[in-house]
Amino acid sequence: MDNSPSAAGDATVIRVDGLAKQYRVFDKREGLAASIRGLFHRESRVVDALRGVDLTVQRGEFVALLGPNGAGKTTFLKLLSGIITPSAGTATVLGHVPWERADAFRRRFALVMGQRNQLWWDLPAAESFRLHREIYRIEPARFTRTRDELVELLDVGGLVNRPVRELSLGERMKLELVAALLHEPEVLFLDEPTIGLDVVAQHTIHRFLRHVRTERHVTVVLTTHYMKDVAALCERLVVITRGSILYDGSLEGIVDRFTSHKIVTLDLDETPDRGRIERFGFPCEIRGPRVTLRIDRDRIADVLPGLLRDEPVRDISVEDVPLEEIVAGLFRGASAAPESGA
Amino acid sequence: MSETAARPFAGLRAWWTMLSICIEERLAYRGDFILGTAMRFLPIVTQVFLWTAVFGATARGDIAGYSRDDIVAYYLLTMVARAFSSMPGLAGGIARSVRDGSIKKYLVQPVDYVGYLLAARIAHKLVYYLVAALPFAAIFFVCRGFFPPLPDATTVAAFVLSLVLSFLLGFFMEATLGMLGFWFLEVSSVIFAYMLVQYLLSGHMFPIDMLTGIPTGIPGVSLADLVRWLPFEYTAYFPAAVWLGKVRGWALVRALAIEAGWVVAMALCCRLAWRRGTRRYSAFGG
Amino acid sequence: MRRYLGIFLTFARACLVRDMTFRANFLLECVTSLGWMSMNLAFYLLVFTFTPEIGRGTGWTREPFFAFVATGLIVNSIVQAFFMPSAEELTEMVRSGGLDSVLVQPLDAQFLLSLHRVEYSSLANGLVGVGLLGWAVSRFTAPPPAIAWLLYPLLVACGVAILYALIIMLAAATILLGRNQSLYDFWFYLTNFSRYPAEIYAGPWGGPIRMICTFVIPILLVVNVPARVIAQPFSAGSWTPIGGAVLAAAVMLVVSRLVFQAALAKYRSASS
Repeated sequence: MDNSPSAAGDATVIRVDGLAKQYRVFDKREGLAASIRGLFHRESRVVDALRGVDLTVQRGEFVALLGPNGAGKTTFLKLLSGIITPSAGTATVLGHVPWERADAFRRRFALVMGQRNQLWWDLPAAESFRLHREIYRIEPARFTRTRDELVELLDVGGLVNRPVRELSLGERMKLELVAALLHEPEVLFLDEPTIGLDVVAQHTIHRFLRHVRTERHVTVVLTTHYMKDVAALCERLVVITRGSILYDGSLEGIVDRFTSHKIVTLDLDETPDRGRIERFGFPCEIRGPRVTLRIDRDRIADVLPGLLRDEPVRDISVEDVPLEEIVAGLFRGASAAPESGA
Repeated sequence: MSETAARPFAGLRAWWTMLSICIEERLAYRGDFILGTAMRFLPIVTQVFLWTAVFGATARGDIAGYSRDDIVAYYLLTMVARAFSSMPGLAGGIARSVRDGSIKKYLVQPVDYVGYLLAARIAHKLVYYLVAALPFAAIFFVCRGFFPPLPDATTVAAFVLSLVLSFLLGFFMEATLGMLGFWFLEVSSVIFAYMLVQYLLSGHMFPIDMLTGIPTGIPGVSLADLVRWLPFEYTAYFPAAVWLGKVRGWALVRALAIEAGWVVAMALCCRLAWRRGTRRYSAFGG
Repeated sequence: MRRYLGIFLTFARACLVRDMTFRANFLLECVTSLGWMSMNLAFYLLVFTFTPEIGRGTGWTREPFFAFVATGLIVNSIVQAFFMPSAEELTEMVRSGGLDSVLVQPLDAQFLLSLHRVEYSSLANGLVGVGLLGWAVSRFTAPPPAIAWLLYPLLVACGVAILYALIIMLAAATILLGRNQSLYDFWFYLTNFSRYPAEIYAGPWGGPIRMICTFVIPILLVVNVPARVIAQPFSAGSWTPIGGAVLAAAVMLVVSRLVFQAALAKYRSASS
C-alpha cells in the first residue's frame, strides 16, 4: 500500500477550482418538415453540464455526489478521471491534471461504473484480472495477495472462474470492484455502484467499501441515487444540481440547513380530533390513533410537554425529516428554477 | 400473400406515420446515408475497369454477347435491381428480435408481423429512392453513352414489373431466412452464406450468360441452366437483361410468370415459417 | 515494449479461449470467409476463360494474377484478424461509453483500442493465400529471385501498416462523430480499389483514380507493390515503388497517430 503523500505534498487529494464543462448539442426536431430543414441546417446550442465547481477532498475522505439525473455528477466524475477535458477551470487529482492522462496518474486511481461492464463478457473474471496485472504492471506476489484478500472480503471465490456472462448483476459488480482495486488505487471513483442491486448485495458492497476506506485508506468519491448508500458510507455529502454545487457538508448539516422542523409520531389511545391536534403542529397524517405531526424545531421543547399532558399519548418518537425527503426537496427546488445559460 | 400484402394498406394512416418516421430516421443519419449511397457505386467502378482491361487484352468484340459498353450498362442496371431486391438488415433483424425476445411484442399486439415488416420495408425503400434518385440519375446521365437506345414501352413496362416483383421476392426470401431464428439460435452465418450465394448467382457479380459454356457434368445442362432454375437471378440479372433486350417476346412473358410464381412460393414459405415458428416459440421459448 | 507484448499476448490468449468456447461458431466463421474467397477465385477463373491477360501487355496473365490475388488474401487476412475486429467494436464502445474505461487505464489508448481483439478465423484466408501463392509461383516460367522473396514479407508488412493507419483514421472519425454506421462499408469500398492490379486504372477516368489511390490515399500500394515484386520480373525500376511503399507506410502511421490523438483530446464521452 502506497501511503506516501501525493505530489502536492499535503493531504489534499483532489483540488478543483472553477471547473466547467459545456457540451454542444444538436437539436433534433420532431416532424418530417423539420427533418428536411435539418438536412441543410442543424441548430445547435450549448449546454452547461458543469458550471464552475470548486471542491477539495482530503486523503481518506468518503464523499457522496448527489443530484438528479443530468445534474452533472457523472460529467464531474469523468473530468476527475480524465476521460473528458473541461471547458474552463482547473483540477488536480493526486497532484496530476487528470485529462493529461499521464500513466503515473492512471496507475493510482480506479473508476467503476455501475451501468457498464468492464470485465470480459465471455470469459471468467480471472482472465480480466490477469489482464489487469499486465496493464498495471502489478508484481505477481502482490497481485496474488491483493486478489485473494479482495475475493475473500466480497466472498466471490467461487465466481472468478465462471464466465462473466453467466453471473448475476450483483456478482458482476463485486468482481468489478475486485478488478478495480487490484492495483491498490489511492483514489476510487464510483459511478452508481449499487444501481439495480438487491438489498443483500448492497449491504455486502457497503461493508466492503467501508473496509476499503478504513483499512486501505482509499479516498472514495461516489455518485448515487440511493440515500442508503449515503447513510451507510459517507460523512460528506455534495449535492449537485444544474451543474453547480448546492450543498457541501456533513449529513447532519444538510438536515439543519434545509429543514426547520422535526417529525413527531404519536400513538394515542383513540383517533384524535383534527382541530385539537393542530394546536401542536401541522398534522401530516392521521391514521386511526397514529398521528404524524410536523413541528418547528425551535418550538419543539415548548410544545412537547403540553402535548404529553393534554393528549392520551401511549408512545412518541421525534425524528429528523428523512434524508430522501430533504434531497428530493432540494432537487425539486432546483428543477423549478428558470433555465439560464445556453 | 393477399392477406399479407393487403393489411398494411388498410391502415393508410399508420403507414404514413411509419413512412414519415422512416424519413426522419434517414435524414437524421444523412451524412452516413449520402456517403453510403455514393459509395455503393465504387465496386462497379473497379468491375468496369477490370472488364475494360479484359476487353483490352482480347481481340474479341464481345464476351457472352456483351460488348464492353453492355457490361457497364449491365452493372449499372443491376444496381437499380439491387436497390429494389436487397433488404439490408431484414433477416438479421428478425432473427435478433427472436433471440432477444422483442418479437413477443408482435405476438401480443394486434398487428400482423410480416405485414408490418413489409409496410416498413416499403416505406424504407420509398425513402431510399427519394434520396438516392439524385445520385442514381447523375451517374446514369454521365454513363448514358454506354446504354443502347431507349427500349420500347412494352420493355420498359416489363422492366418496371420485374423490379416490383424482385422487391417482393427479395423481401420474402430474406424474411423466411430470418425466421430460421425460431429454430436456430445463431443464424448470422446462414445469412452470410445466403448473401454469398445471392451475390454469385443473382448476376450481381457478372452476367449469368457468362456461365453458358461451363459444363456441370449433367449432359446437356450448362451452369447457366442450373442457375436459371433458382430464384436468385430475378433479384439482379433479370431486370437488367430485360432492359438490355436479352429477353424478349414470349420468353419474357414466361420469365415474368416464373418470377411471379417464385414470389408466391416464397410468400407462402414465409407465412408457413411464421406460423410454425411462433407456435414453436410460444411452446418452448420465452 | 515487453509489457505491451505481454498485454497483447493476454488479449490473444483470451480471444483464443473465447473462440474455443464457441467452437461451432468459429468453424462457421472460417467456412464463410473461405466461401467468400472461393467465390472470388471462381470469378477470376471465369474471367480467364475469356482472356489470357488482364490488360494488354501488363504481364498479369493467369498465374501472376493469382499470385496477386494471394497477396491480397494474405494482407487482408492479417488486417481482418488483428485490427479490424477491434475497430468494428469501437463504434459500439463509443456509443455505450466503454471507451471511458479504456481511457482511465495506464496504457496507450491506440494500442488498446486497435489490438484488443483477435479474430483467428480470419487467418484461414491467409493460409489459403499462402498456399495459392505457392501454387502460382511454382507455375511461373521464371521463379522470383532471392531478393524478391526477401522484400516480399517487408512489403506485405508495409501494406498491412497502410491499412492499419487507415483503420486508425476511421476510428478517429468514429470517436469524433460519436458513431459512424458506415465505417465498415467505407472501409470495404475503399479497399476494393486495392483488389486489382493498378494497370487496369487507365484512360481519362482511370488515370486520376490511379493517382489519387497512389499518392493521396496510398491504397494501391498495399497489394500491388508486394505482388509486383513476387510476380513480375525484377528490375532496377522496381525499387521506386518499393521505396514508395515503405515511405507511404511510415508517413501514414505517423499521420494516423496524430489524427487519433487529436480525436481522443476531443472525445466527449457518452452522456451519463
